[in-house]
Amino acid sequence: MTALISFGIYMVAVFALAIFANRAGKSKAFVSEYFLGSKSIGLWAFAFTYAATSASGGSFMGFPSLIYTHGWVLAWWIAGYMVVPIIALGLLAKRMNQVGRIAGAITIPELLRRRFESRSVGNLATIFVVFFMFFYLMAQFKAGAQIMATLLDGVPIYETAVAGVERVTAGIPWVGAADGDYLLCLLVFAVSVIAYTTFGGFRAVVWTDVMQGIVMGLGVVVMLVLALAQVGGLGKATRELAEMTPPQSVIVVVSIAETSGEEIRLSRGDWIETAGERGVVRLKSSTLIPAGDQKSEPVEALKLTTPAEIDRVLSGPDAPSKFTAMMIGEPERYAYGDGQKGVYLTAPGPSQKDSGGFLGVMLALSFFAFWTFSGAGQPSYMVRQMAFRDTVTLRRSIVMVAVYFTLIYFPLVIIFTCARVLLPGMEVHPDRVMPEMAALLTSNAGMPWLAGLLIAAPFAAVMSSVDSFLLLVSSGIVRDVYQESINPKATEKQVRRLSYFVTVVVGLLGLLAVMHPPQFLQHLIVFASAGLGACFLMPMIFTLYWPRTTSRGVIGGMLAGGLTVLILYLIGFLITKEFGEYLLLGLHPFIWAVLFSGIAIVGGSLSQAPVSEALRLRYFGSDYEKTKR
Amino acid sequence: MALPFNLDAMQKPEELGESFRQSKREFWVMVGIWTFFAIWTVSYNGFFADGGSESDPEILFGMPRWVVIGVVVPWILAVSATIWFAMAFMKDTPLGDEEETE
Repeated sequence: MTALISFGIYMVAVFALAIFANRAGKSKAFVSEYFLGSKSIGLWAFAFTYAATSASGGSFMGFPSLIYTHGWVLAWWIAGYMVVPIIALGLLAKRMNQVGRIAGAITIPELLRRRFESRSVGNLATIFVVFFMFFYLMAQFKAGAQIMATLLDGVPIYETAVAGVERVTAGIPWVGAADGDYLLCLLVFAVSVIAYTTFGGFRAVVWTDVMQGIVMGLGVVVMLVLALAQVGGLGKATRELAEMTPPQSVIVVVSIAETSGEEIRLSRGDWIETAGERGVVRLKSSTLIPAGDQKSEPVEALKLTTPAEIDRVLSGPDAPSKFTAMMIGEPERYAYGDGQKGVYLTAPGPSQKDSGGFLGVMLALSFFAFWTFSGAGQPSYMVRQMAFRDTVTLRRSIVMVAVYFTLIYFPLVIIFTCARVLLPGMEVHPDRVMPEMAALLTSNAGMPWLAGLLIAAPFAAVMSSVDSFLLLVSSGIVRDVYQESINPKATEKQVRRLSYFVTVVVGLLGLLAVMHPPQFLQHLIVFASAGLGACFLMPMIFTLYWPRTTSRGVIGGMLAGGLTVLILYLIGFLITKEFGEYLLLGLHPFIWAVLFSGIAIVGGSLSQAPVSEALRLRYFGSDYEKTKR
Repeated sequence: MALPFNLDAMQKPEELGESFRQSKREFWVMVGIWTFFAIWTVSYNGFFADGGSESDPEILFGMPRWVVIGVVVPWILAVSATIWFAMAFMKDTPLGDEEETE
């Protein structure tokens, strides 16, 4: 309950900032203020809004679950972040801001359209932004709801509310089939973010990003200290990891020694001692032992294989009692790493499905490029690069973000390698390892109130991403579709109302889409990032740095990049029947997409007459500087 | 035939703005920094991170040795290079006035 109160204080602060932001922007021109904060964002705001938007639900939910599942190899997987600040902020920002100002653009599609004086370029860019960003929104909504569900689990008023929601939604098609707790948390989360984004616009998003960025940084530092103290030092954790072997998937029948007159419900996550040998399994889904019976139906479970982990569970607070689990058939073993000590310390890392392990060399190279260049190519970051005040702000922000990312990403690897030791069996629900770890660390430290603030860190990450994406999608519709094509003479009042309306509608559509959440949070995030980066990175680099680029080249580049990602994901789906990418020659689709996009831009541009001299001089020539001075 | 980035489409290089030329120099330095650290981490870890069936890899500062040399050390150097780039190499440039957008 104390955790809930501290979390509540955080939420109140978010809304207070939105109200202040709304008041602060009242005197400014609406569209520029609502979508770009009047291009006057200073050092702290710019650095933190960039960092907080970048650190999304993936960083605080998906990434920890991968560290937990695959071990130290994730330090290599995330290594690209060492150069993300210089590339993602340095590569395009100065030119982007300059060209954005010359063009008088508010959005990325608008910048492209004006730079080439081509409506087709702007329309295609809008379509790609809205399409891929929607996947991103879905993933973030799911992450936000999951964090909230963990925080509220066991709170009486919440349990009552969940039961109420289940009753109310029982007969509603699509909505009624969702779990009550997930649905309630999703509703509260989504409505909160939609409300403060709609009310405060870009300035509110930026201000809340600053606060959320600080909460994230503090959360990671506190967790790092607690995790290292409770595990007995990093060296001890790594040595324990060296002895670990991956768990196995098994089918079990749970039995009880004496029959009961009542039905016995066993929940997902319950620990059961195995029959006939010293061992434990953890249930992957809930099951029942019917009244008067001694056995459950067969149910999937996770079997630990490391003696130290088994001892920890058997002597811990969740130690199993009175039930025993009888295994049926052969266990399903990891495709790579089964029974192999040291696999959590080395590359390629254990993998359930891939016999080559989690991270091969080619994939490691792909991710080194992916984190840096896909970051540079995200429209949500690009739009921030159009908003900073001056180059002094940019230079100092690059330094701040470099230090900040170092303090966030590498410590996360340390924290969640410790989690492998402190929290056995989280493979049954890996996406919840972050909130579970926060709860465990603070409870062990006798400071349960701190759990609320620690959980606020990933929550902040999710919120700060959702609000930005929400604004980006609505700006695409209002600015690039309505104002450009439908009603160019719209009054400020009309645009204001439409902006609010579209932000709410886009948010609600995202909410509806994740009533039944996709299973793989991190896959969805990587897909959306790859798609957006593939569509925009090369077109934007050429737009800003190569005067010979033409509209045909940029259209070709966006199509080649976007379609390459879509096709390679489609092939991946057809082969594995699961949402995931196809690694052509071991490389991630993003790498191929960038390559084809670059070729298409050069080919397309050279096949078309250059843009007019006036246009070239406007964006590349020295006369612009002369006229502006 | 025009080649990418040789800017011959401008015909007269002196027409290029100084701020654009400076941005282009910075662009290539950044690409160079990225390439250096990409080669370091991928090649070092490619050779030394794979422990095979070894159950007792060498531990340095509480971490596997390959993490320290293949990730932590280049990370520290990359942050140093970033600070040098941002504070010493990158030049301040006038960005222009904001145009009225409504």
